[in-house]
Amino acid sequence: MIRRRLDAAGTWLLAGTAALCIALLLGLLLLLLRAGLAPFWPAPVIELSLHDGRVLLGEVVSSEPDSLVLRGSERARIGDAYSRVALADIAMRTQPPDALALQLADGRRLFGRGDEAAVLAGALAPARVLEATRPNADGPIARIGLFARAAARFVGTRPDASALGGGMLPALLGTVTLVLLMSILVMPLGIATAVYLHQRRGFLARSVRGAVNLLAGVPSIVYGVLGLGLFVHGIGAGIDRWFYAERLPVPTFGSGGLLWAALTLALLTLPVVVVSVEEGLARIPAGLRDGALALGATGDEAVWGLLLPAARPAVLTGLILAVARAAGAVAPLMLVGVVKLAPALPLDGTFPYLHPSRQFMHLGFEVYDAALASADAIRGVPRAYACALLLVVVVVVLNLSAILLRNRLRERYRALET
Amino acid sequence: MPVNPVTCDALLSPDLAGAHARARRRRERVRRALVGGGTALVMAGLLAIPLFLLAGLLPWQGLPDDAWQRLGVLAAGSLRAAAFAALVAVPLGLATALFTAHFCAPRLRGWLKPSLEMLEALPTVVLGLVATATLAPWLKTEVATLLALLVALPAVLLALAFAFGARVRRAGWLPLWLLPLPVALVAIGLALGARSGTVAIAPANPWNALVVGLALGVAALPLVYSVAEDALFLVPREQAQAAFALGATRWQALTTVVLPAAGSGLVAAVLLGVSRCLGETMVVLMASGNTPIAGVDPLTGLRAISAELALVLPDTAPASTTWRSLLLAALALLAVTALLNRLAEAVRARLRRRLQGLPA
Repeated sequence: MIRRRLDAAGTWLLAGTAALCIALLLGLLLLLLRAGLAPFWPAPVIELSLHDGRVLLGEVVSSEPDSLVLRGSERARIGDAYSRVALADIAMRTQPPDALALQLADGRRLFGRGDEAAVLAGALAPARVLEATRPNADGPIARIGLFARAAARFVGTRPDASALGGGMLPALLGTVTLVLLMSILVMPLGIATAVYLHQRRGFLARSVRGAVNLLAGVPSIVYGVLGLGLFVHGIGAGIDRWFYAERLPVPTFGSGGLLWAALTLALLTLPVVVVSVEEGLARIPAGLRDGALALGATGDEAVWGLLLPAARPAVLTGLILAVARAAGAVAPLMLVGVVKLAPALPLDGTFPYLHPSRQFMHLGFEVYDAALASADAIRGVPRAYACALLLVVVVVVLNLSAILLRNRLRERYRALET
Repeated sequence: MPVNPVTCDALLSPDLAGAHARARRRRERVRRALVGGGTALVMAGLLAIPLFLLAGLLPWQGLPDDAWQRLGVLAAGSLRAAAFAALVAVPLGLATALFTAHFCAPRLRGWLKPSLEMLEALPTVVLGLVATATLAPWLKTEVATLLALLVALPAVLLALAFAFGARVRRAGWLPLWLLPLPVALVAIGLALGARSGTVAIAPANPWNALVVGLALGVAALPLVYSVAEDALFLVPREQAQAAFALGATRWQALTTVVLPAAGSGLVAAVLLGVSRCLGETMVVLMASGNTPIAGVDPLTGLRAISAELALVLPDTAPASTTWRSLLLAALALLAVTALLNRLAEAVRARLRRRLQGLPA
């Protein structure tokens, strides 16, 4: 009896830990969804009448047990109208239905009652009105419309000059461009190395395999150090001296940029691709290769014409793992050219369309920057969460598309897998 | 009889056959060159990392004393962060792996394992954000609540197990039944903490080793879990079934048969987890406060090697003293993580050899 109870105690401890992990996973997901979407939901405009006779109009940005923080009309510049109000001082709290909220193009928000012109006249610095809403009067459907519009603005526009408002389009494009460029660089090299390792067994092959395995777990920041020291200061500065001497001392390739970041990430993800493709090649039954050889194919023809196409699911698995690792790696980028606010996109309409020497923006770095280095922390943290959610969506979409593709290919080659 | 026209032509005319063979040889040479060249490039790139770090340090000019001192503080910071993270990731990861590999209902396992592996794809900058923006402000007042939860969760679990454990025959879906427990405990803890209003344990710095350890632990958890789970799952089912046939309970089969067989895999999981924590950058950068304080106190800030590299290196002139001392730090990080990975790989290889030698 005691024996059985002790067994049960152990089992339940393990099960409880597993439950804790599930709770952690769900909690993280919910937190990310809630905090990432909350910035787009239209907040009601609150009117507070205080005991000392003052009347404050604005939106509540944070509330604590004994006080709340109100954002009033930012007349002169962004972030100049926060006030902390103790709950004990509040006499009355209402949501006037005629309250107007103006979103200005430079990121400021203005609140008032009455018509738009009168509210706008209260601003000390003039600015274009981006959106005028009456959130208190709106029904749920209108609110959902506002929410969708705010989210679309976040994904589809550029940030404003203060970097506290506006959208994240350049960072989104920067992230996707970087990952695609990295994939184009890493896949041929990774596949070539995997084929080499599959065909050869000598000393050279063993040392290549050793190097790949050894570097698989090296921290990403060390790759960043290599990118900065070798690519940027070494190769980039050399290119500048030889080809862009007329522009010096302004660096062209001698400072961080898209190309160096993509190369660094390609090195970072190489081991993953090599290991995954090689495993895929090894899983294919020997009979297939023997059959090809019996029909007169050379060893190379068997690999390129037969084994590699059959190993396509494994190639895609390597790509998935590489993309997931690259999209989440922010630390090395901080050394090789990511910036908070890039003046120009690395991908645009002027020839040659892709500008590999330009600095770029990245969603992951925006998360870091908005959370820690923002001039207005009350705006920065929700913005960081929105960015983080967007980054997670990008990673999940890139992953899911590759997984779906892999599963379709797997169906086709199912008979071959052992 | 249908005839392949190309083959047919090639067979009939010696000229065509020769051209065909030449084209094949040419293609073969091109492919060989591509494979060899690609591999050489890869090898050069991979070798460039240690070689570049070493070359940057040579000729060795020595470092001033304060640089050594600083490196010591940074190394202590990295170790402290990794140690607290391991305290979170290792028990959680190993226990969950033990449960999913040995007790779990197959359907729950089929759902739980991919979800935890998805967590691995979560960018660590997101975990850093959660740590710095949500966890750190909460822990400013609630360290005592966290400690209470740490004691309460196992205590309640043990009490429940003694009360109902003997009656529950199959534990396959137990985690889902127990899921409300941590949620309820956290809710109770939060409510009590908010009601009492007093701060029992106040951290010296809102961004401290405790916050880093929790977030970094979650970052390393999926790695520890999946390596350990794979090792446990490699143990042939027949061995556990043989133990059942001899009258062992599931728990006895786990402790006497499965654990000894897969033990080295669990060691590898721990080594890989620690290596990951040592090198992880974004979480320490965002949640540690980046104050260079040595010591073991979980409630003070720290500054890790990886964070120092990310913060200082971009603005450092190449070949200066700072640059060289940072290269040395990067080299040390590379050496330690590579060593840990090599060890883990060796341990795993031993496990595979042993299990493949066993009758399946």
